[in-house]
Amino acid sequence: MNSSSDEFSGRLGLIFATIGAAIGTGNIWRFPRMVGANGGGSFLVPWLIFLFLWSIPLVVAEFALGKRSRTGTVGTFRIFNGPKFAWMGLWTAWISTAIGFYYAVVTGWCINYFQSAVRGGLGSDVDTTEVWNTFLQDPSQVIMFQALAVLITMAAIWKGAKAIEKVNVILMVSLFILLFSALFLAFVMDMNDGSLDGFVYMFSIQPEYLLEPETWINGLSQSAWSCSAGMGMAITYSVYMRKDEDTTLNAATMCLANNSISIIAGLTVMMAVFSVVDDPLSAVSGGSSAITFLVLPEVFAQAPGGPVVQLAMVAMFFLALSFAALTSMISTVELCVRNFVDHGVNREKAVGLTSVAIFLFGIPSAATWILVDESTGVAFPQFLEVQDHIWGYGLMFSGLFIAYAIWKYGWSRYKAWQAENDVEGFSMRDYLDHGVSSFRDDFINTGDNDWWIGKWWDYIMYLGFPIMFVVLMGTFFLDMLATVEDPWNPTNPKGITIILIFWGITAFLFISMNRLMLVNKVVPTGKSGFPMCLLSGEYVLEPRPLFRNVPEGADVPIDTLPGGQDPFIVKVGDPLPELENQPFVVSGGSVMDAEIV
Amino acid sequence: MEEAKRATRPNPARGLRIRLTCLLLPFMLSVVAPAAIAPAVLAQEEESGMSPDEIWSPEYVNQVYPWGGDEKAQFSEYHDYFSMKNRMQFLADSNPDILSFHEGLLGGVNARGNQMTLDDYKGWHYRHPSPWVKITANVQGGDYNEFNDDSGNYPDRPDVMLVGAHHSREWMSYEVPMFFLETVVHYYGEAGIDNDGDGLVDEDGWDGVDNDGDCTSLNASFQDSNGDGTPCGPGDLGVDEDFSEQFITDMIDTREIYLIPMLNVDGVRYDREEFCGEQAYDGCDSGSPGWRKNLRDNTITGVTPIPDTDEEVNEGCDGVDLNRNYQFEWGLLIGVSPVPGVCTFGDPDLVQTYPGPLDTVDNDGDGRINEDHVDGVDDDGDGLIDEDWIGGNSEPETKFIQDLTEMNDDNGDGASDFKATLSWHSYSELVLWPWGHCNDCQTVDDEYLVYHGFVMGEMTDYEPMQSSDLYPTQGDFCDWHYGVHQSYCYTIEIGNTFHEQPDDIAHIAVRNLGIPFYMVEIADDPRFRAVHGIENMSARHWIQTPSEVNVPEKGDIHIDLCLDPYFPFSTQEDRSHLSWRFVEPNRQQDDYGPTEWRLVPWEKAPFTASGADCQLKDGTNGTVLTSTVPIPDTSVGKLQYRAQLGTTNGAFPFTYPTIEDGGNYYELTMPYRAGFGSAILSVLMFAFIAGVVWGGLAFLLRTMLDEDAPVLSLPPGGHE
Repeated sequence: MNSSSDEFSGRLGLIFATIGAAIGTGNIWRFPRMVGANGGGSFLVPWLIFLFLWSIPLVVAEFALGKRSRTGTVGTFRIFNGPKFAWMGLWTAWISTAIGFYYAVVTGWCINYFQSAVRGGLGSDVDTTEVWNTFLQDPSQVIMFQALAVLITMAAIWKGAKAIEKVNVILMVSLFILLFSALFLAFVMDMNDGSLDGFVYMFSIQPEYLLEPETWINGLSQSAWSCSAGMGMAITYSVYMRKDEDTTLNAATMCLANNSISIIAGLTVMMAVFSVVDDPLSAVSGGSSAITFLVLPEVFAQAPGGPVVQLAMVAMFFLALSFAALTSMISTVELCVRNFVDHGVNREKAVGLTSVAIFLFGIPSAATWILVDESTGVAFPQFLEVQDHIWGYGLMFSGLFIAYAIWKYGWSRYKAWQAENDVEGFSMRDYLDHGVSSFRDDFINTGDNDWWIGKWWDYIMYLGFPIMFVVLMGTFFLDMLATVEDPWNPTNPKGITIILIFWGITAFLFISMNRLMLVNKVVPTGKSGFPMCLLSGEYVLEPRPLFRNVPEGADVPIDTLPGGQDPFIVKVGDPLPELENQPFVVSGGSVMDAEIV
Repeated sequence: MEEAKRATRPNPARGLRIRLTCLLLPFMLSVVAPAAIAPAVLAQEEESGMSPDEIWSPEYVNQVYPWGGDEKAQFSEYHDYFSMKNRMQFLADSNPDILSFHEGLLGGVNARGNQMTLDDYKGWHYRHPSPWVKITANVQGGDYNEFNDDSGNYPDRPDVMLVGAHHSREWMSYEVPMFFLETVVHYYGEAGIDNDGDGLVDEDGWDGVDNDGDCTSLNASFQDSNGDGTPCGPGDLGVDEDFSEQFITDMIDTREIYLIPMLNVDGVRYDREEFCGEQAYDGCDSGSPGWRKNLRDNTITGVTPIPDTDEEVNEGCDGVDLNRNYQFEWGLLIGVSPVPGVCTFGDPDLVQTYPGPLDTVDNDGDGRINEDHVDGVDDDGDGLIDEDWIGGNSEPETKFIQDLTEMNDDNGDGASDFKATLSWHSYSELVLWPWGHCNDCQTVDDEYLVYHGFVMGEMTDYEPMQSSDLYPTQGDFCDWHYGVHQSYCYTIEIGNTFHEQPDDIAHIAVRNLGIPFYMVEIADDPRFRAVHGIENMSARHWIQTPSEVNVPEKGDIHIDLCLDPYFPFSTQEDRSHLSWRFVEPNRQQDDYGPTEWRLVPWEKAPFTASGADCQLKDGTNGTVLTSTVPIPDTSVGKLQYRAQLGTTNGAFPFTYPTIEDGGNYYELTMPYRAGFGSAILSVLMFAFIAGVVWGGLAFLLRTMLDEDAPVLSLPPGGHE
C-alpha cells in the first residue's frame, strides 16, 4: 500500500461499483409501485425515454467531471465552478449523506427482514402487519440493525477502492442470482393461476395513461432517482477510474444495468402479487414501503413448492433487497469519505467519523416519531419520512450544479476564444461554435473513449435539462400544494415551508462557510480558538489544500478550469507551495491515500 | 258468542240498548250487508282469519256511537241546517263547561274600523248567521271578547279554526265537523275507554295504520269494510278505532277550538230545499252538480228573491264562491272569470267560481281606490300594506271569518291567534296546502306545510299536494289565512262525490276524524312541530354502507338511499344529492410513510327515484333514491360518499351517514375492474423493452470488453 493513489483494478470493478450504487431499494420497492400506479406498460414508455434524456447524459457528465478533477464533490466543484462555488460540492455531499442517515435505517430494516425470513418468522401464518409494527416500535431492534448496516458498510470501504470493488462484485453477482431465482418462482406463481396477468399488466400500454402528464413526470422522476444520476456518486467513483476508461460507456452501462434490475424486480413483484392478491393494483399502487414489508412476505409465503421454497423465496428476496441497499449505502458513505480524504484527512479516520455520524444522526429516524396510520393500523417512522421529504428533492440541485459546471465551462471557453481572436460582443453563432460543445469536446470525447458523444448531448444539457429540472421541481411543489393540507405551515412536517427552511439554512451555512472552511481554513492568532476567534476577529485565513487522486498515467491538465490554477490544488504526492507565514503542516497517517510526501 | 249469550239474558239495564238496537236495525243491516254478502265467494277461498264479531263489541262492529241520538246524530242520515244547529245547541247546553254555542258575531267596531252588527253576518237570502261553537275547558271562565260574545278566551291557549261547508253542496264537509264535535263532547274528561270492546285500551290512535293488527287479523272478506279497495286502510273497521281519550281531554284543556261546521248556511239550505232536494245523493251529482256558492243576488235588475222570479236560477249568475272571495291576491285573474267583479264572462264554468264584486270603496280614504291590493306588499309605497283592496271579503260569510279571525287576539300582540286553520271541502280525497294562487310557486314554509300535509295524508290515505298543483285559483280560505295571517292552513277534500250516500257518512267521517285533532294538536306551534317531525323522519333514512353497495364488473356505481316517502324531499340537485369523490393513491408519494391519498373536490350526483321499495330504519316502508357515480373501470382507490337531503324550500339539509352511522362519509374501496391487457401485445412490449434495456446492456458490455471494437457513433474524421 505504498502507492500514492487509489484506483479500481479494472473496468468491471468500476462497473460493479457504480451499478451497486445505482441499484437500491428504489428499484425493488419504488419501481413496482410506479408501474402499478401509472398504468403498467404505459409507465415503461416515459421511464425508458427519460433513461436516455436524463439519466445517461447526467451520469456521463458526472463521470467526465470526476475523471478530470480526480476529487470528490467539493473538490470537483471547486475546480470546475471556481473557488466561490466549492459549497456546491458540499451541498451535493450533504444531501447524499443526509439521505444516508436514514437510508442506513432502511438498510437495517431489510437486513432484519432477511434474518427474520431465514429464521422462519415470515411464514404464511403470520400477521405481517403485526410483525412490522412490533419491529418498528421496538427502537432497540431497529437501532441494532441500523448499526449492523453501518458496520458492514464501514468494513467494506475501510480499505478504499479495491475493497469497495470486491464487496460490490460479490454483492451484485449475488443480487442478480437471487433476483433471477425470485423471478423464476414468481413466474411459476403467476403461471399457476393460468393467466400470467402480472406480466400482462406490466407490459400493456393503457393509452389514457400515456396522455396524462403525470405518467411522464413519474417516469422522469423514477429515472432520475433510480439511477442516482446527479447525486455525485459517479463523480466520487470516477476518482478511482483508470485513464483508459470511457465515461460514456460506463455511464450507459450503469444506467442500463440499473433499469435491467428494475425490470426483473418489477416483474417479480408484479407477478407474485397478481397471482395471490385479490385486488393486486390496490396492493401495488397503494402504499410506499408497505408493499415491501407487508404484502410481499405474505405473497412470497404462498410460493409453490412447499415451506422450504417459500422460506427460500422470502429470504432470497430480502437478501437481494439488503444487498441492493448495502451497495447504495457504500457509495453514500464513500461519497462523504472521499471529500474528507481529498482535504488531507486520514482515510480510516474519515470512514470512522462518517460512519459514526451516519449512525448517530440516523438514530432519530430509527427510533423517534414512530406513529401508527389510523386507517390501516400500520406503523410508520414519521421522522424518517420527514427526512426523506426534506432531502429527497435536494438531489435535484446537485444535478443542477453539475449542469452549471458544464454551462460555466462552455461560457469560459467562449470568452477565452473571444479574447484570443479579439472578438467583442455576444454572438450566438460563435457561442454555439466555440462554447457550447467545449465541455463535450474537452472532457467526454477525450480520445480514449469507446463511444463518441454527439451534439445531442449538448442539446440535452443546455435545453432539455433546465426544462426537465423546472418540470420536476414545479410538479413537486404543485403536487404538495394540491395534496397536502396547510402546506405553508412551517410545523407541518409534510409541508413546503419546512423544506424551504431546511434548504435555506443549509444553503446559507454552506455558502457562508465556502470562504472560511472550504477553500481556506481559519488559523486563530489570538487566545480564543476556533470558532470563537471568528467573533473576535483574531484569525488569519490560510488556503486549504486539495489533493487530487491521480492514478499512474491518468493525469490530465486542469489549468483551463475556473478553479484549476490554484497552487494549493495538488496531485497526491506532489509538494504543497510554501506559505508566507508558516509552513503548512499536516498530521499524516500510514494508509492515507492522499498522502503528502 | 259471549256477547250473544249475554244479550239474551233478561237484564233491565239493557232495555235502552235493545231499543236503540232496534231503532238502528236498518242502518246496521245496511252496514253489514255488503260485508255479509259480497265477500261470500272470497270467504270460501280465504278461510283463515276472524270475523269482526269475534274481536269487537257489537256496538263498534255495527257503528253504533256511544253518544246516542237519532239517525242524524248517529251519522246514518244527513243533518240539515236546523237539526245541526239544534244538536249544537243541545250539546252546548249539556256541556256548558267546554262548549259555548254562537251564531255569527255580536259586532261592534271591527279591526278595520267598520261598525258591524249581527245582521252583517247573516246570509243574504235566508238571513241566518253561521252557527259555531267554541270548545275549550272552562269555556265560560275566560276573558270575554265583546265582539265575538265569547267568554272562553285564554291568552295562553293556542287557537285553531275549523271550518266546514264553504261550498253548500259538499255535505260531508259539515258532517265531518259534527262528527268531530260529537267525539270531543262525548269523550272529554274520560280516560282509558276501550272504544272497540276488544279488551285493549287506546291501542290504535289516528295515524292511518292498523297499529294493533286487529283489522289484519280479520278474514280477508272483512278487511275492507268501507269498500274503497284498500284493505285495513283508514276508514275500515279496526283502523284507528281506539284513540286516547286522555289526548282529547288534554287538547280541550289546552286549546281554544273555533268550530264552524256550516259556514254557508244560505247555500246549504238552498241546495237541500230547492236546488237538489233532500235526496240529493240520489242523482243530483250527475247532471247539474248541486249548489256551490252563497246566495248573493247578482241580477242586474236589482234585489230579487231566490229562486228568482225574473229569471232562471243561475241565469243571472247568482251567488259568490266563498272560497274565492277571500282578499289575499283577490283580483288575480287565475282560476276565475277573466274580468274582476264580472260573473258571466268567458268560460261558463267560471260562473261556479265567481269571486264576488269589485270593491268600490276608498278603504283608506286617500282619494284613490284599490291602489294597494292584499298581497303582503306595499304596492303604492305609502307605508301602509294592503290597505286598499280591490275586492274580496264582500260576503256576510267571509266577513264573518274575517272578523272572527281579526278580532280574536287574546294576547293583544296585534296578530291573529289562529296559527292553524282547517277548511273542509269535498271531494277528491286530497289534503291541500298553500299556495293556491300561483303556478310553480312555494311558500317559505313549504317543507313544513308539506310535512303536516303528508302526515294527514297518511292518516286518511288521501293524496297530499300543494293546492295550486290541483288547480291554481285566487282568493281561497287558506291563501288568505296563510298569506295574511301566517296560519298553517289546510284544505281537506273529503270523499268521492258532493253528496255521498247516507250509508257512507259514518265511515267517511271516521276516516277523517284524525285530521281535526291533528290540527288542534299542532296549533301551538305548527312550524316547530314540523321541524321536529321532519328531524324524526330524517333519522329513519339510511344510505347504503360500503358493504351494501353493489360494485358491478363494469360501469357506473349506483348508491341507494332509503327515503321516507313523506319526507318533504327536494329534487333540486343543489339541495339533495350524493356528494362523492374518488380518492386515489397519490402517484408521487413519499417512499416511507403511510399511503398518501390525493384529495380531490367533492362532486355531486343527483338522486332519482328508482321506484323500488326499501325498509326504513324503523321497519316501515321507504322508497329508494338512486344516484349514479361514474368511476372508470381502470381506477383504483377509495370512493368516498355522503348524501345530502334537502327539503322543498331549503330549510334543512340532512346528511347521511349520520353521526350515529359513524362519521361524515362512507368509504368504499374500489378494485381495478378493467382487463389487464392483451397477452400478445404485452409480449411484444416486453420484447421491445427487454431488447432495449437488456440487449443494450449486453451490447455495451461487449463493446467495453472487446479491445478491438470500433468507437461507437464516431463521426467521419471526428476522432483525433
